[in-house]
Amino acid sequence: MLKIINLHASVDEKPILKGISLAIRPGEIHAIMGPNGSGKSTLSYVLAGRPGYEVTEGSMTLDGEDLLELEPHERSARGLFLGFQYPVEIPGVSNVQFLRTAVNAQRRARGEAELSAGEFLRVAREQAGALGFDMDMMKRGVNVGFSGGEKKRNEMVQMGIIDPRLAVLDETDSGLDIDALRVVGEGINRIMRKPDKAVLLITHYQRLLDLVRPDFVHVLAGGRIVRSGGADLALELEREGYGEMAA
Amino acid sequence: MTTLVLPSNREEGWRWSDLSQLPKLAQRQPTGVAPDDFQWIGTEREGPRLVFVDGQLDAARSQVGPLAIGPVDVTASDHPLGALAGRSGWKLKLGRDHAPHGLVQIVHVSTGAADHLAAEVELDVDAQASIVETYVGDGWANRLTGMRLFKGARLMLSRRLIGSSGFVSLTDRAEIGEGASLIVATLAAGGADTRLDGRCEIRGEGAYAEAAAALLARGRQRHDANLAIRHDVARGMSRQVWRSVADDLSACSVAARVEVARHAQKTDGEQSLKGLLLARSATINAKPELEIFADDVKCAHGATVGELDRHALFYLQSRGIDPEEARALLTRVFVADALDRIGEEAVRTAFYADVENWFGQSQAWVVPSEVEGRVR
Repeated sequence: MLKIINLHASVDEKPILKGISLAIRPGEIHAIMGPNGSGKSTLSYVLAGRPGYEVTEGSMTLDGEDLLELEPHERSARGLFLGFQYPVEIPGVSNVQFLRTAVNAQRRARGEAELSAGEFLRVAREQAGALGFDMDMMKRGVNVGFSGGEKKRNEMVQMGIIDPRLAVLDETDSGLDIDALRVVGEGINRIMRKPDKAVLLITHYQRLLDLVRPDFVHVLAGGRIVRSGGADLALELEREGYGEMAA
Repeated sequence: MTTLVLPSNREEGWRWSDLSQLPKLAQRQPTGVAPDDFQWIGTEREGPRLVFVDGQLDAARSQVGPLAIGPVDVTASDHPLGALAGRSGWKLKLGRDHAPHGLVQIVHVSTGAADHLAAEVELDVDAQASIVETYVGDGWANRLTGMRLFKGARLMLSRRLIGSSGFVSLTDRAEIGEGASLIVATLAAGGADTRLDGRCEIRGEGAYAEAAAALLARGRQRHDANLAIRHDVARGMSRQVWRSVADDLSACSVAARVEVARHAQKTDGEQSLKGLLLARSATINAKPELEIFADDVKCAHGATVGELDRHALFYLQSRGIDPEEARALLTRVFVADALDRIGEEAVRTAFYADVENWFGQSQAWVVPSEVEGRVR
């Protein structure tokens, strides 16, 4: 599904990613762990096409299509979803308005019929309910006045409504209390653990991986993947830290 | 034929104006061809409707109702454009406790040349009215409007300037009596340049005056506004909400002033002037002014100019919304502060549709070689 080969990327001409190669097949969940400043968030932004993050070498394809040729909204329409580490507040635009615009823009791009207001609200209610997200909050401005945990929960509601094929979740567990972490973990499993979908889960900690068990764990350090393994690798990191891997 | 005498940019009140196309428009002959669609706003109760083509009433397509056509009692001899408007036009005079049956709609069609018209709105005690004026066409529509509101009267005047090109100049003179309320909401979302002038005097205690405007400009368009609200008596309240959006090489300029006389204690006045640059080649001028002689007042003003939030733009795009739609969505939110002041939903919806249309036309205006600083 996602194939990254020798990816190099810079921000403000400073090299951050220095040769990442990674292949994710449908049905797989990959976790990326690593110390601060190792390039985890940069990788997520590069995948989503954030302006200012320049790919200087290498390639990345989604279902064989060159992501570098696609604008951020086109990548989204192809099924790529980025869960933000710091979701943005947009005063004046309600969650409902935002998401209906987004869902229908994607459907138009894929040549599908747009959802009516009624159809959209039914999906929104279903997803918000499953994540314990009050529908009143869906009527409020996007992330405006939300706590850190509510913002992350909102990201998951959005993911549920948009129903992507590949989710790149950047530290979705940060800012969550234990109960919220469980809800979010269950949400990821419910929405994304399917044979035709895949997840790239960026996290610092083992605790989310207890809930969303990864098939593969990669350690990112200094802009490169320095080690890959199975779910046990995360337990080892939890025990021993990044130590020499990050050196 | 009268000679057109226009103010120069050396005069402070006209420093940002560009009236250079007016002499040419004044010499042209109108085509007289009006469109088939007058952009009427559908409401539950259809009220009086007037159509003016090049300043002349099109009686066949008007329903005059309680309005009158003829001499009006309004002058602006001190104003170079307002003085041109003459002393005849349309008039809405309502007696005590009266209201028109439904929304009053007036469409001004300007077919390529200059046309001048005056208007007078006088609402007696506790009378109320809601008026929508729509400006279309490609000539120069020059208007002078006098408004007198007696005790407890309420007037909502909503204006949309959606002509394809040309110039619209509106000069207002308003007097508001005790406990009366005047709200003027303006949307400039066409291709015409504009000059909006107003002087509003609060003459009765507890009166309320509000000016809300959304000015959208692109290409080489110019919107230029100059409004003064004067508090002459105590306990008056005024609000000014100006939202300017400038793209390409356009410019929006707003000078908004609040004057508080020495005896106008307990005045509550607020001005909010915000500008949004859609391209770094565009210009926004904001000049809020407070002149306060009373010592027990609450007056605030704020002026900001900025660009669309890049983080918000990327967030929207990451969810599948294309860049133009993302810009439109955020800009719509930006002007909502002004347009949400319109009380009637049908009118508000029509104005928002005009904003959407403005974005729909954006490609035609883009000057790629000149616009390198466009926010992406």
